[in-house]
Amino acid sequence: MSLSTETGAPAGKTWKSKEEFLGCVILTDWILLIVLFAVLLGSFHIHYMLLAGDWDFWIDFKDRRMWPTVAPIVAMCFAAAAQSFFWQRFRLPIGATTVVLALLIGEWINRYDNFWGWTFFPINLVFPSALIPMGFWLDIVLMVSGSWLVTALIGGLGWGLLFYPINWPVLAQYHQATEIDGVLLTLADLIGFNYVRTGTPEYIRMVERGTLRTFGKDVVPVAAFFAGFVSMLVYFLWWKMGGWFSTTKYLESEEI
Amino acid sequence: MKSSIVQALAKYVTARAVRAFAFGLAVAITATTLPAATPAAAHGERSQQAFLRMRTLNWYDVKWSKTELNVNEEMVLTGKVHIFSGWPQAVAKPEVAFLNVGEPGPVLVRKGSYVGGTPVPRSFSLQVGKDYEYKLVLKARRQGRYHVHVQINVESGGPIVGPGQWITIKGDMKDFTNPVTLLDGTTIDLETYGITWTYIYHFFWMAAAAVWILYWFMTKGIIARYWWVKAGKADELIGQNEKRIGGVTLAVVLLAVLGFYAAANKEFPRTLPMQAGLLKGIEPIDEPAPTVTARFKGGSYTVPGRELKVKLAITNSGDAPLKVGEFTAAGLRFLNPDVFTSKPDFPDYLLADRGLSVSDPNPIAPGETREMEIIVQDARFDIERLSDLAYDTDSQFGGLLFLFDPSGKRQKVEIGGPVIPRFAAGAAT
Repeated sequence: MSLSTETGAPAGKTWKSKEEFLGCVILTDWILLIVLFAVLLGSFHIHYMLLAGDWDFWIDFKDRRMWPTVAPIVAMCFAAAAQSFFWQRFRLPIGATTVVLALLIGEWINRYDNFWGWTFFPINLVFPSALIPMGFWLDIVLMVSGSWLVTALIGGLGWGLLFYPINWPVLAQYHQATEIDGVLLTLADLIGFNYVRTGTPEYIRMVERGTLRTFGKDVVPVAAFFAGFVSMLVYFLWWKMGGWFSTTKYLESEEI
Repeated sequence: MKSSIVQALAKYVTARAVRAFAFGLAVAITATTLPAATPAAAHGERSQQAFLRMRTLNWYDVKWSKTELNVNEEMVLTGKVHIFSGWPQAVAKPEVAFLNVGEPGPVLVRKGSYVGGTPVPRSFSLQVGKDYEYKLVLKARRQGRYHVHVQINVESGGPIVGPGQWITIKGDMKDFTNPVTLLDGTTIDLETYGITWTYIYHFFWMAAAAVWILYWFMTKGIIARYWWVKAGKADELIGQNEKRIGGVTLAVVLLAVLGFYAAANKEFPRTLPMQAGLLKGIEPIDEPAPTVTARFKGGSYTVPGRELKVKLAITNSGDAPLKVGEFTAAGLRFLNPDVFTSKPDFPDYLLADRGLSVSDPNPIAPGETREMEIIVQDARFDIERLSDLAYDTDSQFGGLLFLFDPSGKRQKVEIGGPVIPRFAAGAAT
């Protein structure tokens, strides 16, 4: 004899009522959202730390050439894949915004707990790159156009172009000049010099190195356009990658 | 076939196996989390190959101006470094190098660094065979007891760590300040500068993203949308109204980006790109020509006895008799007690004050060339893993030999060469 006073669903029905069914759907929605967010946070964080790494870790790596080239390109991978999943499966215009928010939450936890909490690097040395407005841009271009091709072309280009202006409001204050022993430094250089990183010597920085200067002295626009063009290509590839990852496969019962 | 494998595996999932797994997991978690973390006592210099540490940078005259200081107090780490002539082929030459500090995080901040009197906040070039004077000005930031080393990083060669000293810092990091004067004359505290605005800016955008995500999530959720898409009604989910919301949102976002950008330019009208580039022309120490030479005539290392024996032909072309007083390599100092009658101030773990002896203790007279054997024997040779030389790919030792005349004047000579390992005590040398 059961101690429960609840009665089961009527014969031939899975649910007792419409309310119970809707409640189950909403609960599952929330579980899905939280799980998806955590999975994207973890996987994108690893991806971004491996590929953008020092450019995103340290203020004195955030130069006008390499950082705005590398960071948007490697960030585009997960943004495109997540859009592919959320848009094709659910028509949700939140793929890019979700992954960049997940990444930034992961990064801020890492920077605050590990970089500041454990090793005492000040936050102004280790804050991450801002990416959220780029996520809005990519999601809304896809939503309005309804086309992943247009999103790759327009969205990808804008993704690269927006990166530096989005970050400048925080970065500008650290590009004020100072002088130490007759050597001119920006505050970004000085923070990197003052706060010792035993394993990160100055020469590891790649400050405005490369051949993009062939196109002129205006460093940021050239780097941003280049990042935009490569982001377009990355978008195509990773849209397909996202589609492939979000394919549902079933095992036939006789196979197990 | 597949089901039989699954069934076979399933047999092992017994209650006992689950209990054993849970117990093992608990032990692993306890072992890795409960014991108090011990502070790092060194910065991995022992893990570097012996030939690399002996034959790249020879540190000498290293001094820490203080070993106890309060938060905000400064100390100076000075010394000299000889760039070994027989720099190993396996390591890139120090054409791009950086004067660094080995410490567990920025517990002391580097307020100034100098090589040959030149400020070196950036990377610089060093010449093989030369000696350089360096100085690091360090300001105490975080309370605690830390092992602080001088270190030079060499591009494609890695960090080469010098001697370390325990430094005690008293006080509280929350009192630390790092005032910096900008070119426009204003003074800021770099320790906290711009951090509040950085938080505000980032969290503003993150909050906006969260609102966007939740808005779309709350309108039809995830599962219901999936059903609509599967039913071929995807286009009904994003209609004109939704696109209008998107368009307005994008316009607001872009206006905000523009506004923040313009505000930053208005607040900071004079900004510079980051400064970089190799500093050349660092002056080595202007030393008089040495009046002593030492020619390597062979050597051996007895592994069980921790004993390095080196035959040298030493020529004294000066005008005073000389005695061999010290051999230094990889930051270790081996002293001849016949010459050093008192113990110098140096970290004990690197100072073998009776670690050096010579086959002929008589002074080398002016104009004389004498073949003699130098014996370096001390447990520190083994503790600091220099005995691993026997297992290196390039089993050549290296270091500096210091000779002293009766007035205490010091002559420095570089020695080095291949040594033959002896793996048994008493083996022929």
